[in-house]
Amino acid sequence: MSTSVTEAPARSDVRRGRLRLDGVRKVLGGKEVVSSVDLETEPGEFLTLLGPSGCGKTTTLNMVAGHLTADGGVIEVDGRDITAVPPHRRSMGMVFQSYALFPHMTVAENVAFGLRMRKVPAADRRRQVAEMLELVGLDGMADRHPGRLSGGQQQRAALARALVVQPDLLLLDEPFSNLDAQLRVRLREEVAALQRRIGTTTILVTHDQEEALAVSDRIAVMADGVIHQLDRPREIYLRPGTDFVARFIGEVNAIEGTAAGPVADGYACTVAGETVAATPAGDPPAAGEAVRLYVRPEVVRISTDGAQGLRGTVRETRFLGSRIRCVVATPAGEVTAALPFDARVPAVGEEVTCAWRPSDASLAAR
Amino acid sequence: MTRLTALLGGAFAVLVGLFLIAPVAVTVASSLTTTAYVTFPPQGITLRWYAEVFQKPEFLSSFALSVGVALGAAAVSAVAGLAGGLAIHRYRFPGRAALEAVLSSAFAVPTIVLGIGLLQWFAQMGLASSPFTLLLAHLVLTVPYAVRLVLAGLAGLDRSAEKAAAGLGAPPFAVFWHVTLPAVRGALIGGAFFAFITSFDDLTVALFVVTTDLQTLPVRIFNYMQYDYDPTVTAIGTLMVLFAVVAVVVIERFVGVARLFGADRDQQ
Amino acid sequence: MAAVGRVAGGSLNRSGRRTGLLLALPAILIFALLFVAPLCTLVANSFRTQTGAFTLDNYQRFLGDPFYRDVLWNTLKVAALTTIGCLVVGYPFALYLRGRSPRVRNWLALLLLSPLLISMVIRAYGWLVVLGPQGPVAAVIEWFGLTPPQLLYNDTAVLIGMVHVMLAYMVLPLMGSLDRIDRTLVPAARGLGASGWTCFWRITLPLSAPGMLAGAMIVFSLTASSFVTPAILGGPKVKLMPYFVYTQATVTLDWPYAAAIGFVLVVVTTGLLLAYSRLLRRGGGEVVFG
Repeated sequence: MSTSVTEAPARSDVRRGRLRLDGVRKVLGGKEVVSSVDLETEPGEFLTLLGPSGCGKTTTLNMVAGHLTADGGVIEVDGRDITAVPPHRRSMGMVFQSYALFPHMTVAENVAFGLRMRKVPAADRRRQVAEMLELVGLDGMADRHPGRLSGGQQQRAALARALVVQPDLLLLDEPFSNLDAQLRVRLREEVAALQRRIGTTTILVTHDQEEALAVSDRIAVMADGVIHQLDRPREIYLRPGTDFVARFIGEVNAIEGTAAGPVADGYACTVAGETVAATPAGDPPAAGEAVRLYVRPEVVRISTDGAQGLRGTVRETRFLGSRIRCVVATPAGEVTAALPFDARVPAVGEEVTCAWRPSDASLAAR
Repeated sequence: MTRLTALLGGAFAVLVGLFLIAPVAVTVASSLTTTAYVTFPPQGITLRWYAEVFQKPEFLSSFALSVGVALGAAAVSAVAGLAGGLAIHRYRFPGRAALEAVLSSAFAVPTIVLGIGLLQWFAQMGLASSPFTLLLAHLVLTVPYAVRLVLAGLAGLDRSAEKAAAGLGAPPFAVFWHVTLPAVRGALIGGAFFAFITSFDDLTVALFVVTTDLQTLPVRIFNYMQYDYDPTVTAIGTLMVLFAVVAVVVIERFVGVARLFGADRDQQ
Repeated sequence: MAAVGRVAGGSLNRSGRRTGLLLALPAILIFALLFVAPLCTLVANSFRTQTGAFTLDNYQRFLGDPFYRDVLWNTLKVAALTTIGCLVVGYPFALYLRGRSPRVRNWLALLLLSPLLISMVIRAYGWLVVLGPQGPVAAVIEWFGLTPPQLLYNDTAVLIGMVHVMLAYMVLPLMGSLDRIDRTLVPAARGLGASGWTCFWRITLPLSAPGMLAGAMIVFSLTASSFVTPAILGGPKVKLMPYFVYTQATVTLDWPYAAAIGFVLVVVTTGLLLAYSRLLRRGGGEVVFG
């Protein structure tokens, strides 16, 4: 994490940390908070559970950690069923939203806690704690109490405490949400880099879609206790599978049309008399079915040469610094495009065509 | 504010301060008098009355009884307070609401009424006066505070810290020992200290429970005062003030530590 | 965030209920056997004759006898005067504390609490010496060539001793109330042309009313039920209910009557404390108990 590059603690070469959830359910206060979640990670993967408040992501994480017992389904780590194993016999390192550092222990004592519980001899303990503190850039803070640390330092201490026991899984519960915006970005980059270096399978829970996109190998978007889509960030962003995913993450043009049929690079459909194409999310629809296309503003290209696409009139353009926002009124409704800053800016009232690569947009039955 | 009002305010505060320390200061000073009656300012200086205290075995045995009962009250209050506080804070069980109701109403009942109630109840149960009944009587005064303090301590504990400890491999008892207990340490020390002071100081309840052979120090002093006006009592009073000062200094250290924890939590 | 339940093992299940009950058992036993049972015995006895038959006589005797009505009245009077005394001394003191540095405040608060840390008996004995015929107050009066009046064993002595003990109970809630007043209000009023006195009467005093009220309630009910200080400083001449509970129980040995007086005392003081706690809940104030 600091600029000094330190060797990660020695890890066995056997790739471990394969988490599998199969039909996991949880009822809390009479309400089904998690309703049948299936999930499987690759060893070493950085997987994010992304969703709004109350979507069941933290409950899912707590079941993985063992702080909550699943009401149904199976939780496995490396093929071992841990559904009924109490938390202290699982091997999970967890970082909490509040960091949950022990206020009466120094940073070093906090980090050493898990090793003490594992009866690691004092000398080894000291060495491992020192290595870990150096790794997270907290060397020199070992004897401080958590209350004397900044938010970022507390976060690193919590991370060190979770990692020093070389857990099967690293569980991060909204670990960046108590930090200010700049620090949040920096720390999440550091955590992602560290995770890649030591290769511990990591589950991050967050409601911040930008954070999820920035650090994850894969993202599971959750709502109402179920996983809506589990995919790589690029796919989640460009090709949302459900209306919820499309609208929860970023801005989207949802365009309604009728399915026509497969074409070379995607699936064609008719929108207000024009033919456009996108990639079906899931099974391709039958011809004639009502569908909705999800097109991100960034992938919309605007041309005046009469190319194929949605035709319309420029209603508004606005310079936003990194992008130029351009709203086009089409027969299918308004389409927003986010143009690069050096693009030609069409004049308001100009007739233009909105187009995109079929692989950069998705369509789903409505 | 003008300088005059500031001056007046300062003068007033000094007067209030004098008022607050007057009885103690006068007691301590007049314990040194050479006269056979209590007078202030003291006439001459002698430690004779302190020697008198130690030559009166009844005072020494009363002191021993008071300390013993107070230590017992402190220990039982800490344990019952911790267990009760944990139960109320963490669990739902039959009688929880009733326990909470009794806890809060215990403060509202006048001590003298508790005293006479205990007197009549113990008589009805056929319990003869003993150090044990004294201890029982004092628990009613001390346990509610202990439970309250523990509840306050638990309210300040981040439950995630317990989860974190469990996740790091700590079995339930280790979680309790390493995380929960330290969080309520200040409350426990405070509760035990308070219980000790309350029990050691109590006259109202003890008056109803004691016999002529079994008198706590406050009862002994109270009875002595009715008949004798010699400076022995001022000497005992001075010793007790010293005792209180030492206790406060000791507790200030612990409470200071506890406050440090509180400050730490504020920063998180 | 999604609702996070209790730590594994839960508390809503049957084993949680058992653990909870087990943990609460010492406290439950203590309160059932040493609080509820004695008070029930007391109430039951108050409705009995010396021989055990049911009667309302004890209450009729208390409320019908002018002597005991006087005792009740005097108890309320001393409690009220103590409350006023605490306000008169405590309010300016709290105002003074408000303007001091935290260090000075801490020291003065410790001073304020010191009477509560020192044995009740010794504290009252100290006042015996201070107000006694060989004490400093008498000495000062004699120095002026006057004959000192009887300072002890009357309402005034009790009043002085009670204000001394109770002052902390008044000042602490007052300080809480004063601290909550927005510090920019007074300068704002001054800017609008209000004099210092007007500011005090129209802003500081009304806004500190919750603290005053809280302090007054607790001082009143604690004074009405206190025994040691009045017994030592007032003696038998000062007619207060707790003293009569004591003498009826241990000297006259009329337990049913002592129980009845005690129960009337409970009704008087808990009535007030209940009103006070309701007020607290509404006002959201916070009071430090001794």
